[in-house]
Amino acid sequence: MSGASHEGTSPSTVKERAEIALNNEFLRKAVKFTTERLRTGKKSASEEHGNWDLWRERGRQIRLHTIAHLDYYLSQFIENARANGVHVHFAATSEEAVELTMAIAKEAGARSVVKSKSMVSEELHINAALEKAGIESVETDLGEYIIQLAGEAPSHIIIPAIHKNRYQIAELLSKEAGKELPPDTSILAGFVRRKLREKFLEADIGMTGCNFAIAETGSIVLFENEGNARMVSTVPKTQITLMGMERIIPTWDDLEVMSTLLPRSATGQKLTVYMSGITGPRRPLDGDGPEEMHIIIVDNGRSLQLGDPEFQELLNCIRCGACLNACPVYRQIGGHAYGGTYSGPIGAVLTPSLNKNIMEWDDIANASSLCGACYEACPVKIPLHDMLVYLRNRKVKNGKRMMLESAGMKGFKLVMGNHKLYESAVKIGRAGQVLVKREGKIKAKIGPLKGWNSYRHLSALPKQSFREAWQELEKDLKQEMREMTAETKQRMEQALKTRKGGGNSHEQH
Amino acid sequence: MKPMKVSLFITCLSDSLYPKVGESMARLLARYGVELHFPRTQTCCGQPAFNSGYWDEAKASARTLLDALDDSDFVISPSGSCTGMIQHYYPKLFEHDPDMLQKAKRLGEKTYEFTQFLVQVLGVEDVGAVFPHKATYHPSCHGSRLLGIKSEPMRLMSNVKQMELVPLPFAEDCCGFGGTFAIKMCDISGAMVTEKVDHVLETEAEVLIGLDMGCLMNIAGNLSYRGKPVRVMHLAEVLYEGVLASERS
Amino acid sequence: MSSTEHEAFLRDLREKSLRQQEQFIGNIKQRLGRSGQGGEPPAHPFKGAPDFWQEFELKQDERVNLFMDNWKKAGGHAVQLRTMEEAKRFIVQLSKDLSAKQLLIQNQEELHAMELDRSLNGAEVSVWHQQQGLSVAAGADIGVVVVDYAAAYTGSIIVTSSPDKGRSVSLLPTVMIAIIPAERLYTRVGQVLAHFNGSIREQMPAGIHFISGPSRSADIENDLTIGVHGPGIVYALVVTNE
Repeated sequence: MSGASHEGTSPSTVKERAEIALNNEFLRKAVKFTTERLRTGKKSASEEHGNWDLWRERGRQIRLHTIAHLDYYLSQFIENARANGVHVHFAATSEEAVELTMAIAKEAGARSVVKSKSMVSEELHINAALEKAGIESVETDLGEYIIQLAGEAPSHIIIPAIHKNRYQIAELLSKEAGKELPPDTSILAGFVRRKLREKFLEADIGMTGCNFAIAETGSIVLFENEGNARMVSTVPKTQITLMGMERIIPTWDDLEVMSTLLPRSATGQKLTVYMSGITGPRRPLDGDGPEEMHIIIVDNGRSLQLGDPEFQELLNCIRCGACLNACPVYRQIGGHAYGGTYSGPIGAVLTPSLNKNIMEWDDIANASSLCGACYEACPVKIPLHDMLVYLRNRKVKNGKRMMLESAGMKGFKLVMGNHKLYESAVKIGRAGQVLVKREGKIKAKIGPLKGWNSYRHLSALPKQSFREAWQELEKDLKQEMREMTAETKQRMEQALKTRKGGGNSHEQH
Repeated sequence: MKPMKVSLFITCLSDSLYPKVGESMARLLARYGVELHFPRTQTCCGQPAFNSGYWDEAKASARTLLDALDDSDFVISPSGSCTGMIQHYYPKLFEHDPDMLQKAKRLGEKTYEFTQFLVQVLGVEDVGAVFPHKATYHPSCHGSRLLGIKSEPMRLMSNVKQMELVPLPFAEDCCGFGGTFAIKMCDISGAMVTEKVDHVLETEAEVLIGLDMGCLMNIAGNLSYRGKPVRVMHLAEVLYEGVLASERS
Repeated sequence: MSSTEHEAFLRDLREKSLRQQEQFIGNIKQRLGRSGQGGEPPAHPFKGAPDFWQEFELKQDERVNLFMDNWKKAGGHAVQLRTMEEAKRFIVQLSKDLSAKQLLIQNQEELHAMELDRSLNGAEVSVWHQQQGLSVAAGADIGVVVVDYAAAYTGSIIVTSSPDKGRSVSLLPTVMIAIIPAERLYTRVGQVLAHFNGSIREQMPAGIHFISGPSRSADIENDLTIGVHGPGIVYALVVTNE
């Protein structure tokens, strides 16, 4: 079974890719099972910790502040990292980041690279570039290693191989082992431990991502559970860290907030097993750690969000994956259907935003019912559901209208812009439905009803609309009307008064 | 003090397809002396166009509401989603039009979703209804997440006599409606509503209660498609039917 | 490749980097609508954890209990001991029980004072030093460290790197034993971070590692596996020095 395919060969629309996923019963079960667990874990961890909304608000404020002053904090970080002995580089595009990595790897005469999990590196497709140059590149996070062997992209930010079961994994690892491994989690993990131990000890370069970068001291911070990021940043002589330019936080104090939000939101842990702060290469007398450390600061479309009031908050994302676990669409179709490096609600907004790709605006942004579960789950309160609407609006404003939809919306404007036309439209609809109505339902799978009626029946229009019945109803109401109690009257007057005192008093948040 | 004008914003869906919802609201409120007006020039909040990115089209529709409801003191709607549209997105829609923005904010301030009005304004938590059925409740996303309507319907339902309310598994998961989403991404939406209905059936409830006819139309449509005889009702209908039942006995 | 050639390579990169930095930061400034050399640090009113949290403080015995509880929940072993002598006896007994052949200890005074090599027959005890090489650490059955700090609320120990303290010692051996003098055990992570916050950069250790249990993964069917890359068996010995 091939599961989802390579990005390059996958179908071109979300709809087509989703169809593949929807017909893959195993994939859907696996995704549901794991996202449910992560969701439950997050819920109990945040409840146990308490005051969750206060923490979210604090996290949001820190991220908002940092991004609003990114020029200052990034400069501060660069200066301090250099003073620590780090070689800092800049990549405006993914191509530039690949070039830099390749130059450093060639200079080091590298034959092999070990990598810890990094979403930025997925943006760059760095493994392919290294392999092309004859340099072995090994993903060392267990999940990443599995999908690397399968030749796939991660389908979840936190659990990359969420779409694979133990039988598929045993098959992949057996090929690597040259012998049949049983589908037993601990045996499979044991094999990977031994196999990758060799790889760590041979590797010339360790490559990491960066969860946070602390401006005040020029340090990078890595969160992980397996210990592979520690291996990658301890064993090889040269370390290359790929860092999205927005990963900055001002101080170590701020890390307390991020370390409270990130692990709880991602996996429901109080803290990941390892949280490592790395401040430059090993000191002259240290016995281990990289002798040479490079940090490549990557833009790759990020700066496009800066100064854009509708999308700047996208840079606040801390890549926890909580929005994926909460999303009812992701739950049905998994990550590969989104077609980009990032999946789920954050991917649906981030992919078109980073790529500035109008075709993708056409497509991914539509794969959401706008239910807002992502916003509710987000530890830094990014309004992803609103951003999806903004993307759709920009698509329309840029003239990327779908003919049929555009015509429909013109009709909408006409009819809904005038109640008389609206009233006639309802009448016409009622007359028209005679042909397709059966027992008060419309079941025909024709025209625009095909998609809807493949899963549902449509209610037919009743004999009278509310407004048509209103005159009669109003008479009844006059008969039925009771005297308002003094208390009710007072309550209503009070509501009116507080409102005029300002604000939307009945809104609860 | 001049009498307060309380208006019904019926929403296009309840107007054209589910008039009983508005009727139940109006008759129920009459029992508390609240006289509902129905400004006839209203049409639709504009959400279908807004969510699809067609903001000019949405504005044309929104204007009908802003005009129709401007002179009301209270506006009550049977939908958290349409109320959310007014309160959260009208200010965005008219951000560059100061006059309309002002009007939009005014409307947002005075618009209440039905249970909000009953519980928060009137202070009514027990309407005295009797509804001898096993029921479950789907909290619609926009009402519960955007407006924070969580406790109001629970309080009202917990006071309905003889009704057995069973919790709906994964209640807070979206039913897959999402307006045009259900047409554009029909297979994903279909998978979502199928799962939602699976959960409804798991509860063995006779009645599914909700606060938004969009979601309820979606869920009812799938129930009917699968030939399942679960009755789908807006809470206003449950409360009014229950009041009548209680008065009869 | 000669080191001078390598230095030239790095120099070229550095020059390129300095050139690009101007553009890179300039672009950010421009997008944010800022001009000029904004050198003043911006006011940061929301720094760190919320105020109510900063007041949260447990008593020592509560800290010890909470730490041990969390450490155990994460899958580690935790014991409370009164003296370093008890800690030594614990390590000796554990080494015997596990038939350990190789122990690797940090070059720390507290560990030297234990004279573990004298009490352990048949097991070799190595002390971390600069020229060690990683093979000793990779071959060790047990790594022993005295922690710099610990945090009860998350059940974390914190170790930092130095010439005397290898990162490998808490990472490569199969079993890790961490000794936690109770006075280094704080309530919150933030109290530990405060040691690095605003600290003089030159004095920062290269590696600061928060460790909160055994290495784990849930990447295969969300089934928890212990000991993927780091130590799968971890002991926390809290020494109260009563």
